[in-house]
Amino acid sequence: MNLQEQIQHDFRKYLAHENNDSSEIFAQLRHKAIAEFEKTGLPNIKNEEWKYTNLRNISSLSFNSSSDISNNAKKLLNENSLNAIKANHLVFINGRFYNDLSNIIENDKSIIISNLETERKNNSVHLEKHFGKYAKIEGEGLNAMNTALLNDGVFVYVPINQKVEHPILITNIVDATEFNVLSQPRNLILVEKNSSVQIIENYLSTGINASFTNVVNEIFVDENAKVEHYKIQQQCGESYQNNFTQFFQNTSSNINQVTLTLDGALIRNNLHFYMNGENCNSLLYGFYLTEKNNHIDNHTRVDHASPNCYSDEKYKGILKDESTAVFNGKIIVHVDAQKTNAYQRNQNILLSETATINTKPQLEIFADDVKCTHGATIGRLDDEQLFYLQSRGISKDSARRILLNAFADEIAERIKIPELVQILEAEIEKKL
Amino acid sequence: MLSIKNLQAEIEGKQILNGINLEVKAGEIHAIMGPNGSGKSTLSAIIAGRQEYQVTAGSITFNGKNILEMSPEARACEGVFLAFQYPIEIPGVSSINFLRTAINERRKYNGLEPIEATDFLKTMREKMELIKMDKSLTSRSLNEGFSGGEKKRNEIFQMAMLEPTLAILDETDSGLDIDALRLVSEGVNKLRNKDNAFVVITHYQRLLDYIIPDFVHVLYKGRIVKSGDKSLALELEEKGYDWIKNEVEQVNN
Repeated sequence: MNLQEQIQHDFRKYLAHENNDSSEIFAQLRHKAIAEFEKTGLPNIKNEEWKYTNLRNISSLSFNSSSDISNNAKKLLNENSLNAIKANHLVFINGRFYNDLSNIIENDKSIIISNLETERKNNSVHLEKHFGKYAKIEGEGLNAMNTALLNDGVFVYVPINQKVEHPILITNIVDATEFNVLSQPRNLILVEKNSSVQIIENYLSTGINASFTNVVNEIFVDENAKVEHYKIQQQCGESYQNNFTQFFQNTSSNINQVTLTLDGALIRNNLHFYMNGENCNSLLYGFYLTEKNNHIDNHTRVDHASPNCYSDEKYKGILKDESTAVFNGKIIVHVDAQKTNAYQRNQNILLSETATINTKPQLEIFADDVKCTHGATIGRLDDEQLFYLQSRGISKDSARRILLNAFADEIAERIKIPELVQILEAEIEKKL
Repeated sequence: MLSIKNLQAEIEGKQILNGINLEVKAGEIHAIMGPNGSGKSTLSAIIAGRQEYQVTAGSITFNGKNILEMSPEARACEGVFLAFQYPIEIPGVSSINFLRTAINERRKYNGLEPIEATDFLKTMREKMELIKMDKSLTSRSLNEGFSGGEKKRNEIFQMAMLEPTLAILDETDSGLDIDALRLVSEGVNKLRNKDNAFVVITHYQRLLDYIIPDFVHVLYKGRIVKSGDKSLALELEEKGYDWIKNEVEQVNN
């Protein structure tokens, strides 16, 4: 069975028990999603948006669903360097929520930090209002696949005028010790007016088999709310990931998003912002470090749909060995979005002759009073800088490390949780 | 200390140095002057270890060691320092961490333990005072966004921190206003002692009012065509380079 067949098979299995699906909205969505999935299918390279990222390896895999988790997963969880951060910790293994491994330290009971399944059982009004409203499934086969077989994920609700005191750390582990694993986390994060929250998504893996993590994040950010969102990807071995994140922003909301991709056989990030009100601020920064045959694809899209908004984007990559990276940044300034300020840069350092980067910064501007810039650079380490450091007695190897770390740290330092910056800078240093 | 014999070098097949001979002893200051394109910066780059130049003949020994075989970092650890004509900006690398790394790599080369943090900070304060460097500069990224004058002063500051035995100042005076020039020169004079030496490359006599050279050499078409004491610099200031060019052409004819 290939992946496409498996999804259809799993959906038929679900249908047999459909009456157990107590939530009407989910049932409707699933039916809509499976129809969309059957129509659209998995993305292939004939699709312009997927030109450089081939899912062939994934689509031919077959997956087992196992409810057991191995000691490897527990070990990985215990040794996770991010444990040092004082946080509300939610743990998902192979897409399932583990309440006993999670730890919520937030005292304010009006703030919900939980999982989708619990929220659904509580007949949540929030789900009815927001679920499935932001991440579109039309033409997005992988989003449709996630929605059709909707299982579990994070649910966060921050009511108005609240600040979540400690970050919310979401640890997603795929445990491919026994079988190939398909994990489809589905996260919904709602931040009401004047509120703020810090979210850390951390992706890890263990086991020698293949895994495919297909994530959909919907993040609603109401008026004047602030969200810091940090995504850390360090799945190793034969792990594949598609990560779709849609921010929906109302007036004067602020988002600081940083994506650090340190490992993964194949990763496709789709990071979308929709500015639904004026004076929104969106900062999106990314760093990717690729080696061996890794393939890391960052597709970003910022919809400036309202006037007077600001976005600043910077993605930087270091590529080693035979690895490949893709950057495709799209800024769309809608017809009414006057006084838009949008900046976008992509910088790459290629450390080997056989690494490949495909970069495509894109602007589509339909308003006439805007300030937008974009650009991309691809190069090697700067010989002049290397020589300067060497001429002061620093060995060539140290000089290379110093320069590469400085290049990466610029992005890591956009994270506003100092302990996390420290941990990540150390991880990056280890890898370089 | 430094002995250059019949040094010939080229870049991309173009001959730049045509047989340079230069002896620098401890405690001396040598000035190298000459018109544009005469090979002054090439000479300093080759001593510091730039790889783009091909040495086709001759030798450079430093304290008896053949440094042409050494990496740039090994030369620095042996005590050679080049103050760059155009110091490089290195975003994201803090000036302090850079300096500490440089000092420690050199200490390691010489079999010493890393410098104590308190000693490092103390030395840094002293040396900053010596050349009146603005404290804020060291908390920034290395040379990033520095003005031309700040960059040059930072070169001298690094030199003060690293305490080389041979310092080559490549047009350190260019881009400096008269006050900065005086501060930089005072710094060099304070660092000068009987065990170290300086090679000062400059276009103008002005710098040599402050840093008094023991020898002045004129480089022209990749060779030292005239050497003398400090009065030669004054003569050049007055007459320009044409009389030297003419002398050389006459000899050649």
